[in-house]
Amino acid sequence: MRSSSSAGRQQTVNMAGVGFRRWAQALSKGKAPGFSALLSGCRAASGVSKGGLPGPCPTTPEEKAAAAKKYNMRVDDYEPYPDKGEGFGDYPNLPERSQHERDPWYQWDHPDLRRNWGEPMHWNFDMFIRNRVDTSPSPVDWSTMCKQLFGFIGFMLFMFYVGEKFPAYQPVAPKQYPYNNLYLEKGGDPEKQPEEVKNYKI
Amino acid sequence: MADYREAPLATRPKTLDPNEYFNVSPDQRRAEEGRAALRANLKRQYQTQLNNPHRQELIEDPALTRWVYARANPYTTFRPTFKTSLMGAMFGVLPLFVLYYAFKTDRDRKEDQIKAGTRERKFNLSS
Repeated sequence: MRSSSSAGRQQTVNMAGVGFRRWAQALSKGKAPGFSALLSGCRAASGVSKGGLPGPCPTTPEEKAAAAKKYNMRVDDYEPYPDKGEGFGDYPNLPERSQHERDPWYQWDHPDLRRNWGEPMHWNFDMFIRNRVDTSPSPVDWSTMCKQLFGFIGFMLFMFYVGEKFPAYQPVAPKQYPYNNLYLEKGGDPEKQPEEVKNYKI
Repeated sequence: MADYREAPLATRPKTLDPNEYFNVSPDQRRAEEGRAALRANLKRQYQTQLNNPHRQELIEDPALTRWVYARANPYTTFRPTFKTSLMGAMFGVLPLFVLYYAFKTDRDRKEDQIKAGTRERKFNLSS
């Protein structure tokens, strides 16, 4: 048992040495200049293939068909952004619909995003998630909304203005005190007769 | 509701959308079937990978990869046109100069007031 384990450890040490040697060989054999020379000459088979990433703007119908196939869309539905040099490339120009509008009862692959696997994402997908921008139709139409909001705000402003101009409050007067305006409490002479103060009128 | 006007940037309710009522020709139906076929194919691929008992790794979504790549690399397809240069100048170059000018004149005005003694400095600790 012990011998086999030590043999196994020796084996792994050897494999590491072999791996290092292969890496050093690949380094010395690297054809591309600069940093690429340090990478090995092959790439992994996982991830999207080379033609699967977005590319330059399509011009011919064949390019458009190939791009539609790449993005899993029908050729009639695929519509690239107009080529104005804004950096979109051949990414499809999907309708600007928020994820709020998608059917809440359908069995989406990703229910919180209301999206299926492999479905082409809108350029501003991270804006259209359910925590953010909502483009779903409003309960009443635009004119009704405008009328209600601005009507309410306008009315409140008008009433506040009127209230400023014509204030309405309870009548107030200075406080009146008994015992001749508190003559003794305020330090008046107890021997002297204070003048009579009458704070009322009948 | 005949003159319903939706809010800007919002969509029309489905019951008021004319597409629901007028797009029923066989071509439209075939188009819908084509779209459903694509969707079903993607669903099949996803479900196969999802229910594979030997799967150890995450299911990678190529649409997500493409989206991330497209958003991260706009410069490969960028072209300096009139509009893009204007945008770049307005949002990248102009704020530098405008803000410099604004702050400098404001600070100079305040400094002159302090030197003349006309500025009320409520929080000045070093007087």
